[in-house]
Amino acid sequence: MVNSSIYWNQVIETLPREKLRELQLRKFKRIMEWAYKNSPFYRNLYRAAGIEPGDIRTLDDIRRVPKIDKGMLRDVQSRAPFPYGDILAVPLSEVTEFRQTSGTTGTPVYQADTWQDWEWWAECWAYILYAQGYRETDRLFLPFGYNIFVAFWACHYGAEKVGCEVVPGGVLDTEARIMKMKELRCTAFGATPTYVLGMADTAHRIGIDPKGIGIQRITCAGEPGASIPTTKQRIEEAWGAKVYDHIGATEIGAWSYSCVFQRGLHVNEAFFLVEIEDTETGEIIEEPGRNGKMVITAFDRIGKPCIRFDSKDVIRWADYSCECGRTFRIIDGGVVGRADDITKVKGVLLAPTAIEEVVRSFDELSDEYEVIVTKKGDIDDIALKIEIKPGMEDRKESILVRLKDELRVKTNLGYKIEVCPAGSLPRYEVKAKRFKDMRKH
Amino acid sequence: MDREYDLKGMDAKIREIHRTAEEIRELGQGIEAVRRNVDRILASVKMIELNVCDVVEVL
Repeated sequence: MVNSSIYWNQVIETLPREKLRELQLRKFKRIMEWAYKNSPFYRNLYRAAGIEPGDIRTLDDIRRVPKIDKGMLRDVQSRAPFPYGDILAVPLSEVTEFRQTSGTTGTPVYQADTWQDWEWWAECWAYILYAQGYRETDRLFLPFGYNIFVAFWACHYGAEKVGCEVVPGGVLDTEARIMKMKELRCTAFGATPTYVLGMADTAHRIGIDPKGIGIQRITCAGEPGASIPTTKQRIEEAWGAKVYDHIGATEIGAWSYSCVFQRGLHVNEAFFLVEIEDTETGEIIEEPGRNGKMVITAFDRIGKPCIRFDSKDVIRWADYSCECGRTFRIIDGGVVGRADDITKVKGVLLAPTAIEEVVRSFDELSDEYEVIVTKKGDIDDIALKIEIKPGMEDRKESILVRLKDELRVKTNLGYKIEVCPAGSLPRYEVKAKRFKDMRKH
Repeated sequence: MDREYDLKGMDAKIREIHRTAEEIRELGQGIEAVRRNVDRILASVKMIELNVCDVVEVL
């Protein structure tokens, strides 16, 4: 019988806030003690800062614990013992899984997990999938590379845990994936928003209406698109399915998700501590609506612990609640940028997601675009490449006028807009690289 | 919560499973198939501990 509950674990997901905070404090102390005892990297870090696990008595005390960042993770793996350095909190013989980050921001970071960590990854995903309505009646197709990147690996095992039938769609091209999804009457799939839109395009090209396949729900990851209203709407219209977002990272785990009510993203606060820091002052932000960078702790990851990781992801607390009744806090709009991506162009702060929101609100434009920032002398220049959908080229002048206006309103910047032939801009299967800041090269 | 659960009862049973699994590992020393499969059982038991036992401690 299919369980009618909307919760994977009602006890945890509806825990009163004060109990949840108490649970977080206990779990923070536990993982810090574990790392201090077993990981030379963490022990040295904490000793150098003059702090011990016993010093943590309140949640406020946690702010004294040194943060780690990706640069430190890269440094540690360049030292002995090979290949993870001295960060592991278990013997290397207990590591059963290797993955690595995509290297979008530099040298890839290696990630070691024990079998228990892998179970934990799947458990985190079970919370996500159950909240998004996945049940044992679902046949979930996963069209990703099944390789060294974590991507949807843990989703695969989380879905098995929930009871779904999982169809691994690796090593097939996009057409073959669509045909297989249709042939097997899959009810759901998961991919980056870019690839979900690309698959819809491909389906049309081979004469298949994506809406006719029978997909009921799509879970997105890897990019912020599913939390950008205009992109989400495009996906839902293309597939005739509900679109849900999730945020996770190789070094962290799968830490937040939208539920069937699609109201922001719930942070799984029983498994993670999310702190939002002001990027200028370092002050912790508790109030809703104010952007800051995320510092996150995974409470239960033991092989290579993740304690106060400065992710550089920019997020904000929501000022609304969700009908689902979960007591977990909600973040609004997903990851709205990266602290190192939000950049000044012509003296104006720019988040690339704002450009996506505008471009995707134009029905006449294809899903692809590219932004290129250059510097000529002392002056920044920003160009936007777009594609007009076939059959709509006669509206070019009107589109350009409206697009420039909208961009000006949303980003306070003027753009050089270049219309490219339909289908000529790069298509991506994994994380798209549409924002190119050439000033940094 | 619209339903009350016997969390303390569950907690006690989960701890019992944990103990039993460790006892099996001890009894099966030298049998790799026992050791490795008990490790996997314990990893699964840990997930129930995260879902139940951890919460019992704050209720």
